[in-house]
Amino acid sequence: MPNQRANRPLWLGALFLVLAFLVGAVPFFAQIPGQQAIPWLNPLLGAVAVVFFIRGLLLAIRQPGLYRGKAAAWTLTILSSVLFLFSLFAYYASRHIPDAKAAPQMGQKAPDFELKDTSGQPVSLAQLLAAPVNSGKTGPQPKAVLLVFYRGYW
Amino acid sequence: MDEPGVSLDLARKAGYTFTLLSDPDAKAIRRYNLLHPKGGPDGHDISRPAEFLVDRTGTVRWTNFTEDIRVRARAAEMLAAAQAIN
Repeated sequence: MPNQRANRPLWLGALFLVLAFLVGAVPFFAQIPGQQAIPWLNPLLGAVAVVFFIRGLLLAIRQPGLYRGKAAAWTLTILSSVLFLFSLFAYYASRHIPDAKAAPQMGQKAPDFELKDTSGQPVSLAQLLAAPVNSGKTGPQPKAVLLVFYRGYW
Repeated sequence: MDEPGVSLDLARKAGYTFTLLSDPDAKAIRRYNLLHPKGGPDGHDISRPAEFLVDRTGTVRWTNFTEDIRVRARAAEMLAAAQAIN
C-alpha cells in the first residue's frame, strides 16, 4: 500500500471522546475538585471530538486512496454527535431550575422550621442556633449554622 | 425530600457527623421558597440547591444560589463565610 497516511483526526477525536466520557460519566473524575465548577467542560470536549471526527470523515471520503477508515469515521461521527447532543441536553437540564429571588436573602431573618433528624427526633432551626443536639449529645451554642438544601448526594 | 431512614443510611455510608434533617413533605423547602415542582427524577417535587449561613440572631449572613445543580458551594467558600462571623 504506497502513500497511505494515518487518519490522525480520527485518533485525536477518539482521544477527546474518551476525555469527554471520563469527565461526564465516571464518578471518580467527576469528583476532581474544579470539575464541578466548569460544567460546560463535558459538552466542550464532546464538540471538539465531533469536529475531529468530521474532519477525519471528510479526509476518508475525499481521498479514500490516501486515508482509510471511512466506516469507522462514519460510526464515530454519528456516535459522538449523539453523545454531544446528550451532554448538551444534560447541561441545559441541570441549569433549568427556578431562581431563588423569593428565598431568604442576606440580612433577612432565616425562617424557623422543625424537621426530623436521622433518628426521627424533631429539630428546629432555633434549637440548632441555641444548643444543637446531635446523636443524643448537646453541643455548645455555635457562632452560626450552615443550612444546606442539597439535591443529589454530591 | 428523603425520609429519615434514607438519610440515616446516607449519613452512615458517607460518615456525616453534622445534623442531617429530612424534609419529605418539603415544609422547610417551601418556607424558604426553594421548591422546584416536579424537578426531581420521576417528576417528584424537589429542592433547588441552596446554602445559607445563619448567625446566632437568626439572620442570614451568607447565601449561595447556584445556577447549575451540578455546581455547589465549595467547602472553602463556606468556611471563609463562617470565619467572617464572630
